[in-house]
Amino acid sequence: MPEEAGEHGESLIHVAIKGEELFHLGPIAVTNSMVGTLIATVFLASLAFWASRNSTVVPGRLQGFLEFPLEFLGGVIKAQHPTRWRAILPPIITIFLLVLAANYVGLLPGVGTIGLHVVEDGHEATAPVIRPASADLNFTLALALIAFVLFVSWGIRANGLRGYLKETFVANPPYMTPLMTPIHIVSELSRIISLSMRLFGNIFAGEILLAVMLALTFAVVPAIFLGLEAIFGAVQALVFALLTLTYITLATAGHGGGHDESHETGEHDADDVALRAGAH
Amino acid sequence: MVLDLGMRLGLSVVIGVVAGVLLDNWANTSPLFTLIGVVVGVGAAMYSIWDVARDGMKPR
Repeated sequence: MPEEAGEHGESLIHVAIKGEELFHLGPIAVTNSMVGTLIATVFLASLAFWASRNSTVVPGRLQGFLEFPLEFLGGVIKAQHPTRWRAILPPIITIFLLVLAANYVGLLPGVGTIGLHVVEDGHEATAPVIRPASADLNFTLALALIAFVLFVSWGIRANGLRGYLKETFVANPPYMTPLMTPIHIVSELSRIISLSMRLFGNIFAGEILLAVMLALTFAVVPAIFLGLEAIFGAVQALVFALLTLTYITLATAGHGGGHDESHETGEHDADDVALRAGAH
Repeated sequence: MVLDLGMRLGLSVVIGVVAGVLLDNWANTSPLFTLIGVVVGVGAAMYSIWDVARDGMKPR
């Protein structure tokens, strides 16, 4: 994390790409990005707790605000998966809200500026107590791996294990398999890396940009960039969630078939099928 | 999906080349696997384009 350094002008801004260790909890090293993740998680959990206790049929302002992302993403998922949307919505909305909260932790006052003295590689250094979770590759990579497991499991669920393996590892025509299988594996790997690197790169770069602006300019200019970062945080959370959804759509569609065949079915029919599918 | 394509094009080639170089270092066969890695990486990049195009061409 960036921070202003010593008085003798060694360097104005110090950048750490990885999360810095604050203390050890038994064998586990607690880093400042873990604190950021915890804040985001506690915030979301308490919001969900509040919303589940105080929800009304006619939503109030806060409930309406909370329901907006659910309705929006629900509509997008329902358009692509008329029969499976009830099962696909929860993981997608969880990813969206967690990434959004994790991104916005970086905009809170005190994050990245309040430091703690730690001993790193034998010398004393100051590490920020909180680092936004998405500015740590560990968090984004873990989320990308979860997304990978999600779309592979949906692929298996839709096409069967045999069908999925055949689709992934056997080319059409079969004599192209030795060439296509490595290509397919690299292509799948690139999904995980591109998902994780995009989120990490955007949020980490945003944090550095904010720190540089704070160091170089006065009060008004960083505020403009704070506003921009608020937009980027929401966009990146949406991109992550929608790309996961796209990968699930691709995995469930299968190469031979089309999308869900039930586009023509009425909304009530689709809901009934979804409820039955959810009961499995 | 298109947002994702640019990044995947580059990453596919990088993954192919890195895997090739690592295999070459491990098996002392330089430059055999590096060349294969380049071909596979570029192939995977092209496959990604095909993947997106195929999804776009499907009737909705």
